Amino acid sequence: MQPPGPPSQKFELPNIQYLVAVASGKGGVGKSTVAANLALALVKKGKRVGLMDADIYGPSIPIMLGIGDVDPQTTTFPIERHGLKAMSMGFLLGPDKAAVMRGPMVQKYLLGFLTQVDWGQLDYLLVDMPPGTGDAQLALAQTAPVAGVVVVTTPQDVSLNVARRGVQMFRQVQVPVLGVVENMSFFIGEDGKRYEIFRHGGGRKLAEESDVPFLGEIPIDPRVAECGDQGEPVVHRYPDSDVAKAYLALAETVDQQLRHGTQPKELPEVQL
Amino acid sequence: MASSEPESLTPTALRKDGPDHFVIEWGDGHHSVYTWRHLRANCPCASCREEKEQPANPLRVLKPGELLAPTAVSMPRVGRYAYKIAWNDGHDTGIYTLQYLRSLCQCPQCLEKADHATPRSAVTEV
Repeated sequence: MQPPGPPSQKFELPNIQYLVAVASGKGGVGKSTVAANLALALVKKGKRVGLMDADIYGPSIPIMLGIGDVDPQTTTFPIERHGLKAMSMGFLLGPDKAAVMRGPMVQKYLLGFLTQVDWGQLDYLLVDMPPGTGDAQLALAQTAPVAGVVVVTTPQDVSLNVARRGVQMFRQVQVPVLGVVENMSFFIGEDGKRYEIFRHGGGRKLAEESDVPFLGEIPIDPRVAECGDQGEPVVHRYPDSDVAKAYLALAETVDQQLRHGTQPKELPEVQL
Repeated sequence: MASSEPESLTPTALRKDGPDHFVIEWGDGHHSVYTWRHLRANCPCASCREEKEQPANPLRVLKPGELLAPTAVSMPRVGRYAYKIAWNDGHDTGIYTLQYLRSLCQCPQCLEKADHATPRSAVTEV
C-alpha cells in the first residue's frame, strides 16, 4: 500500500454512524487494550464495528487480534477477526519494520485508513489513538467527523496529569469528550479482597474536574495481558469474567451516550 | 457528553461584506466586523508570527502579492473549531480559531476594550 493522498479538508464518512476515538495523553495506560475490548464488547451487543489502529509508530492491534504477518500486496483491507474489521499500520509494515516518518506522512496514512479503506456499513469505527496531543490527534480533529472521544487513564497522578492535557486538547478543538475510563483500577485477590495497586479514584476525580462523565473502572486481571498477547482479547475469550463485564458496561454507557446525546454541530460554511 | 462551546464562540453565519470587509454573526447575538487587511495582518501561522517578532527591516523588498489589497479566496472549515484562510497573495497556512476570530473583532464596542493580543490558548499550529 502506497502512502495515500487523503483529503486535507473536512470530510464525511456516510457509512459510519459513530466515529469514536480512544485516547489518552499518556502512553502505557492500556489504550489499545481498552479499544480492542470495547470494540468486541460492542460487537457482542450486536453492533457492526471497525477498529482502526492510529498508532502508526507503535501498532499493537495486529498482535491483540491475533492477525499475523500479512502480504499487503494480496490482502484486502480491512481484515476481519472476532467479528470486527481492523486496519493497522502493522499490516503494511510486517512485524520487524519500523515506521520511520515525520508527522505529515503519519497524517496521510491515518486519513488514508479512514477514507480509502472499504469499511462498509458500520455502527462504530473505533480509533485507537497514539499517546500525545500532536499530529495524529490534530489530523483527526481537523478533518474527520469524530462523534466523541473516550479518554483512558490509570489511577495514579502521573497518568492523570497527562490525561488532563488530553481532555483539554480535545475540548480546545471541539471534539466531544464522552468521558473518562479508569483502567487498571483495582485487583481482586484470591482472598477476595480488593487491592488498589495503582491507587484509586483518580479517573473519577479527573472526570469531575473536567465536567465530563465518568465511564467506569476496568479491574486488573492478569488474563487481560495473556489474552492480548495470544490474539484473543479477554472480552472474547472470557466473556463471563469481571473484566469482560466491565467492558460490556462501558460499551453500554458509550452507546447510550451517543444514541441519546446531542451530536456536535458542524461549523457553518463561509459565504464569500 | 462534554459541554460544547458557549454561544459567544458559536458562529451562526460568516460572510463577505463588500470588497473590504468580513462579518461573523455569533450565537450570543454579537455582530463581528473585520477588514480583510486586519485579518491578514494578524495571521496566526508560525511564519507570520515569527516575521512580526523580527525588528522592522527598512530595506525589505515587497513581494508581488503584498501590493494587492488582501482578500480571502477561500475559508474552509477546520474541524469544529477554526477556519483556514487562503489569501489572494497565495498564503494559506493560517488557522483562525473561533476564539481568536472573536478576539480580533473590530466592532466599535470590541475596539474599545480589546488589546487584540493573541489568546494564550488559541490553537495556532498549521
